Amino acid sequence: MEQRSNLIDRALLYVLIPAVFVLFYLIFIWSPVEKIMGVTQKIFYIHVGTAWVAFLAFFVVGFYSVMTLIKPKLNRFIYAGVSAEIGVLFTTITLITGMTWGRASWNTWWSWEPRLVTTLVLWFIYVAFLFIRKMDGSWERIAKLSSVFGIIGCLNVPIVFMAIRWWKTKLHPIVFGEGKNQTGGGIEPEMLVTLLFSVFTITLLYVFLMRKGAEIERMRTIVKRSKNKIMNKLAS
Amino acid sequence: MNYLFLAYSVTWALIAGYVLFLGKRQKALQKEIKQLEEWNSEE
Amino acid sequence: MKTILMDAFTIAGKDLRSELKTKQTIGMMLVFAALVILIFSFAFDPTNNMVKAVIPGLIWIITIFSGILGLNRSFVSELENNCLIGLRSAPIDPSSIYIGKVIANFVLVSLVQVVSIPVLFLLFGYRFTSSYLWFILIVLAGTFGFIIVGTFLAALAANAKNSEMLLPVLLLPLISPLMIAGVQATNIVLENTEIQSAISWLQLMAAYDLLFLAACFLLFEFIMEGS
Repeated sequence: MEQRSNLIDRALLYVLIPAVFVLFYLIFIWSPVEKIMGVTQKIFYIHVGTAWVAFLAFFVVGFYSVMTLIKPKLNRFIYAGVSAEIGVLFTTITLITGMTWGRASWNTWWSWEPRLVTTLVLWFIYVAFLFIRKMDGSWERIAKLSSVFGIIGCLNVPIVFMAIRWWKTKLHPIVFGEGKNQTGGGIEPEMLVTLLFSVFTITLLYVFLMRKGAEIERMRTIVKRSKNKIMNKLAS
Repeated sequence: MNYLFLAYSVTWALIAGYVLFLGKRQKALQKEIKQLEEWNSEE
Repeated sequence: MKTILMDAFTIAGKDLRSELKTKQTIGMMLVFAALVILIFSFAFDPTNNMVKAVIPGLIWIITIFSGILGLNRSFVSELENNCLIGLRSAPIDPSSIYIGKVIANFVLVSLVQVVSIPVLFLLFGYRFTSSYLWFILIVLAGTFGFIIVGTFLAALAANAKNSEMLLPVLLLPLISPLMIAGVQATNIVLENTEIQSAISWLQLMAAYDLLFLAACFLLFEFIMEGS
């Protein structure tokens, strides 16, 4: 079992490293330079990729939270926590790349745009989730408390998005689709390929980090258990 | 151009930092496990 | 369902009666609300024309900050003498504890608002000319949503040692849509402009209230058995 899991990790790593280099090639050399925005438009590839993973990680947290409530298992608890941690990382990256993008194209670091603010609220929810998991107590107890918060947080995100959208547009409905944040209208095929590849690579990175993080968390429970064993030994 | 550089360097710096942080954590835990195993076998 | 509500009223009655005896929490909340108004009068000059712009936000800031004080107490006070264990082992549905606490907290925060909002208008020299009905409805809907989520998270945070620090961190991101809706709707009503758009904000708040009431009601027993 351990052998196989090691093999998967290694295979992931061997796919991941070339993929990152190919991604760099695609972004910086292969894909065309956008006419209006210039090279700055290339932030877009990584921004969309990390944003996608940030939201994916959040849904993974929600999914494992529900699963933990249905039947508490150590693995589910670990996956929810690790996913939240990686989520914080990718949400931070999304915010930073989004801000540089905004600075480059609208000349301001921060605009109260629905997607930006939703991501910020998402970041806060992730951090709150991690705070709950830092509470002391048995993992079963923390698993229940954090899962409950994960579910409530998941429910909240779409409402936040709706509310900010209404707030900023003063109730004028906007149709789903390309906002001003995107390259606008048509996207060139090369750009699309680069974008898809970027999403793919970053998702792969997420899976890899997930597995690593889960492994470390499992090690931590082993340490805790053997510590308890020694304590009992010393006590008797 | 500067912004592009800024965005990419920050992104990869953060990811690399996180990976290093994970590695450090893993090493510390491995050490601890080893230590604990030794103690366990001693007694 | 009926027994849950009856038990909930009993618990709310117990909380409110014990509050009536000491008057500690409500007193603190009122003083705190007054202090927030005072501090804000330093931050935004009340003689200025800006008053109209900050009043809707100020109403909600008072509610949230003084509300958090009360929410912190509502479960932590049960930890003394292991009262919470007593409540849990009582032959009642855990959800009725939640509903009871929601009612008690709602009454407390509403009382604070009844005093502090007129004081706010008075001190900032604001003349209220809008429709009372809509204003009260909006304030009630916002406060109710805040209490629903707040009580739930207070119960969750009570498990931690540093619960009074944890609660705001958990609560504020979750009530952000409610606050946007509340401030916008209050703004519209106070400016006497298109009531129609205030109604859609009110609908958003009502939807939020209902959704989270249902979710918290169902999930509450996990918090109770988890501790």
